[in-house]
Amino acid sequence: MKGFLEYVPGDSVLHRMNPVAKLVCALFISVACFCTSSFMLLALILIIDFALAASCKMTRQAAQLAKAVAIFSVVLAVIALLTTPVGTELVQLPWGYIGTGSIAAAALVLMRLVACAVPLFLVMYITKLNDLANSMVKILHVPYKYAFTFTSAVHFIPVFMNDMAGIMEAQTARGVEFDGGFAKKVRLMVPLCVPLLVSSVRKTNSAAIAAEVRGFNVRTRQSGFKAYPFSARDVVALLACVCILALAIATNYVPIP
Amino acid sequence: MIEFRDVSASYDGELAVLDRVSFTIPNGDFVAFVGTNGAGKSTTMRLINGLLKPTAGDVLIDGVSTANLRTSELAAKVGFLFQNPDRQICCNTVREELMFGFKAQGRECADAEGRVDAMIERFGFDPDAEPFLLNRGTRQLLALASIIVLETPVIVLDEPTTGLDFRECSKVMEIIAGLNVRGTTVIMVCHDMEVTADYAKRVIAMTEGHVVDDGPTFEVLRNPNTLQRAHLLPSQIVDISMRLGDVAPAIASSSIARANSLDQMSTAIYEFISSHAGTGASPALGSDEGLGA
Ligand SMILES: Nc1ncnc2c1ncn2[C@@H]1O[C@H](COP(=O)(O)OP(=O)(O)OP(=O)(O)O)[C@@H](O)[C@H]1O
Ligand SMILES: [Mg+2]
Repeated sequence: MKGFLEYVPGDSVLHRMNPVAKLVCALFISVACFCTSSFMLLALILIIDFALAASCKMTRQAAQLAKAVAIFSVVLAVIALLTTPVGTELVQLPWGYIGTGSIAAAALVLMRLVACAVPLFLVMYITKLNDLANSMVKILHVPYKYAFTFTSAVHFIPVFMNDMAGIMEAQTARGVEFDGGFAKKVRLMVPLCVPLLVSSVRKTNSAAIAAEVRGFNVRTRQSGFKAYPFSARDVVALLACVCILALAIATNYVPIP
Repeated sequence: MIEFRDVSASYDGELAVLDRVSFTIPNGDFVAFVGTNGAGKSTTMRLINGLLKPTAGDVLIDGVSTANLRTSELAAKVGFLFQNPDRQICCNTVREELMFGFKAQGRECADAEGRVDAMIERFGFDPDAEPFLLNRGTRQLLALASIIVLETPVIVLDEPTTGLDFRECSKVMEIIAGLNVRGTTVIMVCHDMEVTADYAKRVIAMTEGHVVDDGPTFEVLRNPNTLQRAHLLPSQIVDISMRLGDVAPAIASSSIARANSLDQMSTAIYEFISSHAGTGASPALGSDEGLGA
């Protein structure tokens, strides 16, 4: 999982967009996914997601993400399937039935989560974390402390994953067998949380000290050197996303399949 | 016996980190791998215990290819000390940590308890101490102890002395040398040429995924071509003996130019001075104020 959520340099239009605009656009699209139950619109959003990913050469990452999110949402989809007795009855259950409508509901859950997650993660891949944090501080007036917490948290994900891989490697070398069933794997991994925790605490502590000695506390909103102006491109993108959101809300009143 | 036959390896499947590396390490050898950062030394170590499988060629442990063995099976043959002891230590007490290997490998070993006790005695550990609260050197010793308590015929050590002070370093190396005397094959990665010169019998020098030189320790450390290609600086005694050898033919032909350790060097210098004492001029330096004058 090397490079998970790590910035991939590029020069596409999306790469050059204002970081805050990107984030807000992604949020609009995600919210739109939850405002609608229309298959057509969700499919359209998915197409837009992948078109955007393709425009910045992130198709592979987007596909990986979509797959990962889909796997996680299967549980939710199954719950939806079992608890939404709608449509023509197909399978009788002790508490209801699975109908054609239940299948539609399950599919809707899957599509919605994938369509909603892809743009949010995409932002991480095409925006430098520092830019994202600094622009949030400058434009949205988010206190630097919180922005920093956010960036460090994201920054540490690959570091911890790397650590965990290293720890598992060390234990494998001592004879622990991680290959095997999922339950066995989890049981073996639990004790390894100790070394992971120890190394995390050590790392966090030194990161805090490093920030402190470099004047973390005296930093203000004006400290950042780089300016993050909005351009026409950003405004257009924002408007487009507002339209998508409006469309999503409209589908609740105007029936579309 | 460990055999690398034209081994190539890569992490991402594209960039070759090792390129057709071949060598054979017989039982009981003490080999040091030296070379620049990123030369592929740790990668070679990973290949030995099967954490990484070669993309081409074959790694044979006692004649069996690692491709057909699981790392957990190999763990009974090859003990592996990682550079960072904190990745290895995972139990709540020193005693549990030392027992962990037996449990992990599911080895029914009648004298496991006895061996653990002996290890605690030998290293002077507090058996109930919390491993993570020990200092850096002791953690390294604990990680080492938890490997050697298993008495595997081969031990692989990735930079066992990095970050240790002189006293801890000697302690670790003396223990390793003791194991080697009793027949354990020792393979280590080491950036410290003094340690390498003091302990290793054989050196394999690597750069950019290739083996540059492979031979008895001092043949490698005295080969100017190897030193240059692998960006190595020989141990200080070897360095000074080579430099003095270059100064004058009389020294080059004396045992000074062949001295590899501090003891050999002091004896050689003493002999040199004695043999030139009273001759008036020093033929070595070609002047009246020479060494023996
Ligand atoms: N887990 C990994 N994934 C991808 N590439 C890696 C990984 N580990 C090492 N490499 C790369 O493989 C090459 C060889 O690395 P290796 O760790 O074997 O070097 P080394 O000789 O042990 O160096 P050092 O002296 O710094 O420990 C390096 O270019 C390194 O970037
Ligand atoms: Mg290394």
